Amino acid sequence: MSKTSEKIAEFIESHPTLNTCALAAENAIKKPVFGCQDCGQCILSYTAFTCPMRCPKEMRNGPCGGTRADGHCEVYPDRYCRWWLIYERAKKLGRVKKLRKLQKPVDRRLEHTSAWLNVFAGRIDPPSWGRE
Amino acid sequence: MLKSGSNLEKLLRAGHFVVCGEMGPPQAADSASILKKCGYFKGYVDAVNLTDNQTAIVRMSSVMSSYFALQGGVEPIMQMTCRDRNRLAMQSDILGAYAAGIRNILCLTGDYQTFGNHPDARGVFDLDSTQLVQMVKKMRDEKKFLCGDEMKQEPRMFIGAAANPFAEPFEFRVMNLAKKIEAGADFIQTQPVFDIPRFEKWMNAVREEGLEKEVHIIAGVMPVRSVKALLYMKDSVPGMSIADEYINRLEQIKDKEAAMEEGVKIAVEIMTRLKETPGVAGVHIMPVMWESVTPRLVEEAGLLPRPVAAEETEGKEQGTMCDVGCRM
Repeated sequence: MSKTSEKIAEFIESHPTLNTCALAAENAIKKPVFGCQDCGQCILSYTAFTCPMRCPKEMRNGPCGGTRADGHCEVYPDRYCRWWLIYERAKKLGRVKKLRKLQKPVDRRLEHTSAWLNVFAGRIDPPSWGRE
Repeated sequence: MLKSGSNLEKLLRAGHFVVCGEMGPPQAADSASILKKCGYFKGYVDAVNLTDNQTAIVRMSSVMSSYFALQGGVEPIMQMTCRDRNRLAMQSDILGAYAAGIRNILCLTGDYQTFGNHPDARGVFDLDSTQLVQMVKKMRDEKKFLCGDEMKQEPRMFIGAAANPFAEPFEFRVMNLAKKIEAGADFIQTQPVFDIPRFEKWMNAVREEGLEKEVHIIAGVMPVRSVKALLYMKDSVPGMSIADEYINRLEQIKDKEAAMEEGVKIAVEIMTRLKETPGVAGVHIMPVMWESVTPRLVEEAGLLPRPVAAEETEGKEQGTMCDVGCRM
């Protein structure tokens, strides 16, 4: 991001109470709305605002080979395949091209940290807000 | 210049229609069965997949099985799933595999652990299959580990990935293929074809994007011995599509032997059809616990004799490679 944003992130993270509040604020929105799994490196803006980390295999680049004919998951037949949902929503929201981006491996050190602060601190790529 | 120098790579680059086999390693600490099964493949196929704890059932590791396959005189395609290893274990296995003479790798996500014989196990899934492809490419082409550290001898692997033309979301499957190509896949193996129209629809979409020119697409074929196997796949294996025609044909036959004959006939028909499909670079025969049928299928589909790869003089390490990898 920028020097200023890095300083803001540094300031918040150096104060445990502030840091906890920031994480709680993020979770308060992301958990109920997106079922956030707290990976700390959010790619929701690339996946039609549908969390891929709820996939049992945590597939970040696309579905495994087991999506059922009705769009459900092979592991949990009562749930939709995350990537089936992602693709359906991406079509509706005009965000299909964003699915084409290669997503790099998860940095496990960032799990259970605030993705917002991680963006501010320049540890992860910023979200891609614009439509195609 | 060749990327790996494997027999599979040479034949694909020379434009031959390749044939791959597949064998499941034993559920025992014994290499004899692998060496015995090699007899079904030697001279009939160009390379053989060694599965990695398929359906999440513990078997001999695909690395060691691939090594024994080499000893048995067939070129292995070592399967590697993301289910059982983290990024450290994967990279160390790839180093060992290359040092042992293994030159082909197929990068997979892996069946979910609850389907296997240790349903209580922890699934790793540290990387996904696309990231695994990218990691192997980085090791090979940049001589670097995933973390960026450099290595002296890079594992020169011919990199494969899987595609499923039969599972939903159908349209996204082509983009997923494009992603795997961008990540570094050299060849693709598909789920077994039992639905030709669906497969051709997928191939049309692949050709529209020109992807068949960027990657070698090897289509899966699975011979079945009875209608039971087809019905099981139709009802219980997600992401499979089975044409009713094949079920009807096998259902009518009550005699066990005759049903097996019909199963062979169906597989040969599918292979012949795939050979005529533009953009298909080969077939991957995957008989489950019926490896012995492989020679017959290859022969009846008119794919014998198997071509011998021409020696290329350019590039390094050709000589050392061919000592182990290219015996037919």
